[in-house]
Amino acid sequence: MVPKISVKNLNMTYDNYVIMRNLSFDIQQGEIFLIIGQSGCGKSTLLKYLLGLKRVSHQKIFYDGKDINSVINVPGFYGEKIGVLYQGGALWSSMTLAENVALPLETYTPLNRKEIEEIVTLKLSLVGLKGFENFYPSQISGGMQKRAGLARAIALDPEILFFDEPSAGLDSVSAKRLDDLILELKESLGITVVIVTHDLASIFAIGTRAIYLDVESKTITAMGVPHELLASSNDKNVIAFLSRGTKTVQG
Amino acid sequence: MTGIAELEVENESIAIISIVGAWSIYEKHSHAEEFIETILAKPSIQSVELKFVDLKSWDSVLINFLICILNSCEAKNLTVNVDNIPVGIRRLIELSKTSPVRSTSPAGQKKSTILEFIGRVGLLIFFSLRTFLGFTGKLWVGIISFIGGKVKIRGREFALVLQEVGAKALPIVFLISFLVGLIIAFVSVLQLSQFGANIYVADLVGISMMREMGCIMTGIIMSGRTGAAFAATIGTMIVNDEVDALQTAGFSTINFLVLPRVIALTLMMPLLCIFSSFIGIFGGLCAAISATDLTIVRYCAQTAKAVCLNDFFVGIIKSCFFGFLVAAIGCQKGLQCKRSAEDVGLTTTTAVVTSITAIIIMDAIFAVIFSLIGI
Ligand SMILES: Nc1ncnc2c1ncn2[C@@H]1O[C@H](COP(=O)(O)OP(=O)(O)O)[C@@H](O)[C@H]1O
Ligand SMILES: [Mg+2]
Repeated sequence: MVPKISVKNLNMTYDNYVIMRNLSFDIQQGEIFLIIGQSGCGKSTLLKYLLGLKRVSHQKIFYDGKDINSVINVPGFYGEKIGVLYQGGALWSSMTLAENVALPLETYTPLNRKEIEEIVTLKLSLVGLKGFENFYPSQISGGMQKRAGLARAIALDPEILFFDEPSAGLDSVSAKRLDDLILELKESLGITVVIVTHDLASIFAIGTRAIYLDVESKTITAMGVPHELLASSNDKNVIAFLSRGTKTVQG
Repeated sequence: MTGIAELEVENESIAIISIVGAWSIYEKHSHAEEFIETILAKPSIQSVELKFVDLKSWDSVLINFLICILNSCEAKNLTVNVDNIPVGIRRLIELSKTSPVRSTSPAGQKKSTILEFIGRVGLLIFFSLRTFLGFTGKLWVGIISFIGGKVKIRGREFALVLQEVGAKALPIVFLISFLVGLIIAFVSVLQLSQFGANIYVADLVGISMMREMGCIMTGIIMSGRTGAAFAATIGTMIVNDEVDALQTAGFSTINFLVLPRVIALTLMMPLLCIFSSFIGIFGGLCAAISATDLTIVRYCAQTAKAVCLNDFFVGIIKSCFFGFLVAAIGCQKGLQCKRSAEDVGLTTTTAVVTSITAIIIMDAIFAVIFSLIGI
């Protein structure tokens, strides 16, 4: 089967500084794929590459076997095929929550007003924000903004969902609820999920496969099912990361 | 001085540093440099011993002191006995070493010679002109597809921008234009009354407001008011990932953010300019009738005689261009913003400075063109 997303020998840079080199991995249809690593190792940057927000040379990143550079210009790639939840939610601040969620629906679907309103209410209630339709992003808390961002990301039922640290800044109940929602979306709609995270609870609870980005060697030092990684990896940074970092402190 | 270190040399080869007292960032204390100098000045010294005799309390200064000593001894291959260092301090020192080091620093300013500086400024101007031209190209593609009906802009958003750059700007435009008219009139009265030519105040105020001051003043006001707001808004959107979110939701930033703002300001600027010109003339009138024996009727009649339709259109054409420039520069600078609050401030400043400069240069170009074609 052609992988949903495939990355081949990707080098990530800012200006001339190399953040990570030689990244290669495949993400299969229906996976919950985790990108893990210490903060500052380049997880968000990798997400930017995968989303086409940072320019990349040809033959590095593929969606369904097609080069990303040709895919991102196809109408419907953004919004319909992929949805993104950013680290801080990234709601459009001049619009209410309802308008945020409704905008993609208005733009890309032939639905009428009433249906759009109903779908907006549905999506907001999925993330536990029913009744907040007419609030502006500045009027709700950071965690709520994030959940609203998720409602917007799933507005068009995309095939692939990207999350940048979804549970950071959420209380444990909301984080658990989010994990359940992600699992539910994957099970019922068969979507592929790519999550950047360092939340151990969700790593073990929902991840089907993970890659570990290592700051020191600047590349992937472990790849596999999270539980097995902890049991079988002999890389001390990976083990330290997956067992709450106690090992590194002792040096 | 409460945090004290003392140096003794034993057998010419062992340096003993005794650390005494209460070390605090708020108090005076010994500095590592002196010790390092003394130790390095004696080549016979082979190793360094640290002694903690009567250490009452310590904080970051002591850790820093020790790290400096350890590092310079390590660099000179001197052995240091660290066994005496209290456990807490030793752990913190070790912790500070486990942090991975980024090998290059982020791009920053380096010291440069005057020639390098001139070269860099030249390149900067060249590149920013080039990016602005590229941006304007994309913007025009957007404008043309908007006119052709291929791109829609959100009505409510557009109405809000129109209100913001139009109606809400009236009070400040009123105030400034009125005062500018008043000032021009007073200055000319002073000169013209020497020749008994008071009546020509009306000509001066009328023509200068219509042709120049009306559009330049609105241009400058709108750079500071609206261009800055555009840059700051879009810059903040970048900081909050909102612009990335637009892109990954499939919206073009040009069509979504820039187009409504540019169209709104290009439409509103001529109206503001007309408003400003008339208010300026009104200001001149107030000054003239209070400072001379001119009557309202004579002043108005003289203004009507002096100002012709050409002057009126010159002002309007220029203000369309200024509106476009202010909005386009504001948005373009905003989109170039990086990811911190400080960058937003910088972006806003650059946007205002650039658009005011652009307005003045554009006005000079217009002056040449209009005088060549004799309008
Ligand atoms: N705009 C930028 N310019 C230069 N370096 C950057 C920029 N953004 C991030 N970096 C660097 O890239 C590295 C990875 O950042 P990021 O991907 O945000 O990390 P994280 O894994 O925590 O999401 C960091 O070392 C950071 O210093
Ligand atoms: Mg990040």
